[in-house]
Amino acid sequence: MPAPIPQPPHKDNLEETWTFLERGIDSVMLKLEDGVDMKTYMALYTAVHNFCTSQKAVGNGQGLQAHRGAHLLGEELYKLLGEYLSRHLDAVYDESQGHLDEALLGFYIREWTRYTTAAKYINHLFRYLNRHWVKREIDEGKKNVYDVYTLHLVKWKDDFFMKVHKKVMDAVLNLVEKQRNGETIEQSQIKSIVDSFVSLGLDESDSTKSTLEVYRFYFEKPFIAATRVYYENESRRFVGENSVVEYMKKAEARLDEEKARVGLYLHPDISKHLTDTCLDVLVTAHSELLRDEFQVLLDNERQEDLARMYRLLSRIKDGLDPLRTKFETHVRRAGLAAVEKVATEGEAFEPKMYVDALLQVHTRYQCLVNEAFNGESEFVRSLDNACREFVNRNKICASSSTKSPELLAKYTDSLLKKGAKAAEESELEEMLVQIMTVFKYIEDKDVFQKFYSKMLAKRLVHVSSVSDDAETSMISKLKEACGFEYTNKLQRMFQDIQISKDLNASYKDWQEKVLDEDDRKKMVDAHFQILGTGFWPLQAPSTDFSAPPEIVKTSERFQNFYFDKHNGRKLTWLWQLCKGEVKTNYIKNTRVPYTFQVSTFQMGILLLFNENDTLTYSDIQKATSLAPEILEPNLGILLKAKVLIISPEGSKPGPGTSFSLNYNFKNKKVKVNLNIQIKSEQKVESDDTHKTIEEDRKLLLQSAIVRIMKSRKKMKHVQLVQEVIQQVKSRFPPKVPDIKKNIEALMEKDYIERLDGDEIAYIA
Amino acid sequence: MAATPTLILTSSDGVDITVDRDVAERSLLIKNMLEDLGETGEAIPIPNVNEAVLKKVIEWCTHHKSDPPSTGDDDDSRRKTTDIDEWDQKFMQVDQEMLFEIILAANYLDIKGLLDVGCKTVANMIKGKSPEEIRKTFNIQNDFTPEEEDQIRRENEWAEDR
Repeated sequence: MPAPIPQPPHKDNLEETWTFLERGIDSVMLKLEDGVDMKTYMALYTAVHNFCTSQKAVGNGQGLQAHRGAHLLGEELYKLLGEYLSRHLDAVYDESQGHLDEALLGFYIREWTRYTTAAKYINHLFRYLNRHWVKREIDEGKKNVYDVYTLHLVKWKDDFFMKVHKKVMDAVLNLVEKQRNGETIEQSQIKSIVDSFVSLGLDESDSTKSTLEVYRFYFEKPFIAATRVYYENESRRFVGENSVVEYMKKAEARLDEEKARVGLYLHPDISKHLTDTCLDVLVTAHSELLRDEFQVLLDNERQEDLARMYRLLSRIKDGLDPLRTKFETHVRRAGLAAVEKVATEGEAFEPKMYVDALLQVHTRYQCLVNEAFNGESEFVRSLDNACREFVNRNKICASSSTKSPELLAKYTDSLLKKGAKAAEESELEEMLVQIMTVFKYIEDKDVFQKFYSKMLAKRLVHVSSVSDDAETSMISKLKEACGFEYTNKLQRMFQDIQISKDLNASYKDWQEKVLDEDDRKKMVDAHFQILGTGFWPLQAPSTDFSAPPEIVKTSERFQNFYFDKHNGRKLTWLWQLCKGEVKTNYIKNTRVPYTFQVSTFQMGILLLFNENDTLTYSDIQKATSLAPEILEPNLGILLKAKVLIISPEGSKPGPGTSFSLNYNFKNKKVKVNLNIQIKSEQKVESDDTHKTIEEDRKLLLQSAIVRIMKSRKKMKHVQLVQEVIQQVKSRFPPKVPDIKKNIEALMEKDYIERLDGDEIAYIA
Repeated sequence: MAATPTLILTSSDGVDITVDRDVAERSLLIKNMLEDLGETGEAIPIPNVNEAVLKKVIEWCTHHKSDPPSTGDDDDSRRKTTDIDEWDQKFMQVDQEMLFEIILAANYLDIKGLLDVGCKTVANMIKGKSPEEIRKTFNIQNDFTPEEEDQIRRENEWAEDR
């Protein structure tokens, strides 16, 4: 086993000492596997120690400077060791010449392992040198002096690595290419090479730290270059032979594979660089091709492939912008097409059909954005833009942009009104949420408000809401979307109904106290609603009406009660909204008399027949004071229901006709509803609403202008216009000429005045 | 619990001394060697230290075996003071010959703590003494000529304690 213990050298003798050390180092370098015994180890350490502590001042001269303190020995040993390593590595290099490719890798790794292990030993054996001479040199700022271990690395790099790195890297790259081609390789070899290259990165200014310089320059650089070439070739070939969809799969797989490669045997430092290179070659270089496929994938709703495309393009700079534009166009076209389909139904389509069509398109593409595009905010924005376009500007809106809000409001009304197809509560809530989705895109939100408040008023007055909870929920949703002001009136309407309920209760109590027996007998059971003029979108009746005496008595009594309570208020009777029930005691062929549900106008007509069986048109008109355009359709309804009979038979109600009570009236139901809305009324109402919208917009613009000017005092005309647009656009998109017109109008009214330089000032 | 592992050290004059391994490893030389060679059961030759000194060194290492490992060369505060803890002071109450032998051994064996204590002890022997007194203490011959001495004194006047 151990070699015969060499004679320890004489400590003063450099030559003797080095000869002794070289033998020991040689056996550590070359025969470490044979082991080193403790005696030799200690003898070597001791030889270094003894030489360095020998009294003889060898190599005096420039080394010995009086003010530097004690002279430290060791320089000669350090030099000799360096020379020895160079010689040793030359031999290693010569041997390496006989190896190629994987064999060379094997050789390099073997030699590296052997060499660095030995270096650790030798570093320990020369520790005394490290502690004193080397430390002193480094402390004094000497360059190119390293601790003994680092000296080994420096020598390896200078005398071996620099000569072989290219061949070694060629071998590494060959291996990697094989692996990329699908062969199995021994990747631990590459890992060892990486570790070795990394170890050789020495920080010149501080040998205890390492840098990645060597690794970056000699490994990363060629590795990246080879990767680029490999994937350039592969992707070019693959694209030529396969579909874009297939290519995307391939590219994604390759990207994952390279990412994994870093974890398997590369240094993490390469990660970003490698990924960037792969993206550049695999995605950026082919991005045009991918984008061209986008429309095809959209048309065929290939969600998975779209998601893949998104993932790939999202990783390169500006990769998605063109997709967003295409996506927006696509969604808009889909929306327009859906609306067009509804439009083919002509005028007769249900608002539900229209809203459903809008929603369907929105839902489909929102789902796509979430699933394939990761819910990315820019795509959401594109979707919103597209939806806003097709919701506000489509075939059905072509005549007037206010069609969308009108239809949406009507659909909402149909959901909230009592009807045959009442939805489940949870279902209803779901539908209201959907309505809000469309509502969000509506530009003319004021139009929706108008129609909505009209319809709400009707639901409230006619007590035809499907549920108070649903009404409240809808109002709070609108409030959330548009603010307090938007729903203020709606809420007040709700309140009025509540107050009216209480009022009726106290009216009943009051009646109990005030009325005598006689009054009570003739009393009509009535319910009153007090609606604040400012909050309700209701108008006084468009016709005169002389209410029947029975009603007049009742209404006057209530008026007395009310004025008693609230002095100085004015009550306007909205006869056109009132309704009641009358019993048919004159019809003898039923046991239970029929009950007619009628409007107040119809009641006025029918009650006249308590006195006469036959009345002429002018009798009726005189008695009721109803305008012909109201009277005639109402008579029409009574005729159609065969409550009245006209003569001459078959003619239309009008001057010269007369009407008699039909004693032989028959109906399957005991309760007959005669209170049907007249078609022409409906149309007029809608037109009126549109007219008031124009009026309201003018007011809204003017109030915005005044508000802004009041706070700013002075302002440029252009700025004012901009500010007005900002303030108003949450209600409707204002047109610049309209704003200008209203500015002019306010000038005429002396609210504001024009100054020099296109400036406008507020007149206090 | 397993018995504390022990090692045998052979002094320069051929005496085997058994020590606990963790005590011996206060010497970085021994610690590194065991790391490199592994434990073979062989006696470890210590060619530069005789039995008497080695025992003294082992005594110090035994006392200090649970000291935290030296934090390297940079703990200046500890190095700059000449304070020595009581046990160490007593430990260092030996004749000058032995004191220097201990310092040399600590340097050789790479036992930083002991080397520091030794050097501080010597420093304390110098502190506050005139050159003549120092020469006497350490039995040093004055090999300066009077002219040389005069020149040196002038050059270092600034350092004189006045």
